[in-house]
Amino acid sequence: MPHALDLLAEARAAGDEAKFLAGGQSLLPMMKLRLAAPQVLIDLAGLDDLKGVRRDGDGGFSIGALTTYRELQRAGAVAGAVPALADALALLADPQVRARGTVGGAVAHGDPAADLPPVLLALDAELTIASPAGTRTALLDDFLQGVFTTDLAEDEIVTAITIRAGGARGSAYAKFPHPASHLPLAGVAAVVTMEDGRVARAEVAVTGISSRPYRARDSERAVTSRAPAPDLLSEPVLSEAVALVADGITPLSDQHASGPYRVHLAQVLARRAISSAIKRAQTGLDASGLDARGRDTRGLNTRGRDTHRAERP
Amino acid sequence: MPPAQEVAVEVVVNGTTRTATVPARTLLVHFLRDHLRLTGTHVGCDTTQCGACTVALDGVAVKSCTVLAAQASGHEITTIEGLSKETGDLDPVQRAFQDEHALQCGYCTPGMVMAVRQLLADNPDPTDHEVRHALSGNICRCTGYQNIVAAALKAARVSR
Repeated sequence: MPHALDLLAEARAAGDEAKFLAGGQSLLPMMKLRLAAPQVLIDLAGLDDLKGVRRDGDGGFSIGALTTYRELQRAGAVAGAVPALADALALLADPQVRARGTVGGAVAHGDPAADLPPVLLALDAELTIASPAGTRTALLDDFLQGVFTTDLAEDEIVTAITIRAGGARGSAYAKFPHPASHLPLAGVAAVVTMEDGRVARAEVAVTGISSRPYRARDSERAVTSRAPAPDLLSEPVLSEAVALVADGITPLSDQHASGPYRVHLAQVLARRAISSAIKRAQTGLDASGLDARGRDTRGLNTRGRDTHRAERP
Repeated sequence: MPPAQEVAVEVVVNGTTRTATVPARTLLVHFLRDHLRLTGTHVGCDTTQCGACTVALDGVAVKSCTVLAAQASGHEITTIEGLSKETGDLDPVQRAFQDEHALQCGYCTPGMVMAVRQLLADNPDPTDHEVRHALSGNICRCTGYQNIVAAALKAARVSR
């Protein structure tokens, strides 16, 4: 059983030529396209103490970096406590990729269009990072820096991701997927905490439309402290938050979607995610989202019948 | 430390231990097809989208084009060849695919069967919607998916 520090020392010795291999569901496809060409891969698979989910002292969760998406989906306590996580995991890639891909990999890869990072950003996630020199922590929001660019040094590995617990919270994640790869052309995560019928705090995070997943802080300010329940979902309140969700962002433009279309998608998805998070905070899981067997099968993406229905942001 | 050009791989494939020394860059799908001559697992897109390469690794469906043979060493693999009995009887999912005409050219079929097996292991009584969602990692060019979904639901009924 390899020790993490031995692998880290190997990485330092190998220098530029080495990359760590976790699930490989992003790295191996990049290598096949020659977008990455490390000479050495250091397999992290044997580090069993980096797997699993634990409750931490404050009732939040510490997720081992080598926990696969499939394992996280099947860790009922986390998915139940954070519906946005359950939403994102259900819509992320496909079952085979989820069986191998890891939460640490999702964070360390720095993909500007990935489903888990915006949910983690909306949960104020903190990373624990190990190197031969010791351990440090970093806020995910500081760690993600740009297109496939993070604060991770070559001899460091992410060991755990910690997410906070909260009071009366609702959360949701909505995405518009590329139909073959399932990568989000746009995705929005929303976490809303209610107090005395008002929005005490809100976190909104966006992926897929710019150089990195980001917090839409102007949108958050627009819904915070808003008037009691009946007004929360009214036109002026949500519309203001939705209109601000891509403010100040330079949207990506490529063969899949233009910049303005990505902004439009983010606005549509922001309306869905924020209103669903508020509903879930107010009522527990919104009963209308459950199927006859009491399971929530309502994805918040726009595949299927919804795809061609015009929807204003 | 000089990088290894070759790795020793020991895998239990369909119940039999297989060993080989292969280039470190060898993907599991190529190890199965080229080294072990188990050509039922197909390379479709090589971009992790189509699922024609799906096999079970330690009992869980994965895309073998996105796993290195070195990563599979020390583990168990089940390929499509491992499903039918020594007598030649088909696995219930295979039989359902036959009964429901769930294949035309057959290229996606091994991967589809392996993915349906995973679905039924996780969810023995799926809805139509759940079947389609569980097969989101498998692409079929011929059938339009209707009969594949019917076969999955039939296999679920038969297996309960």
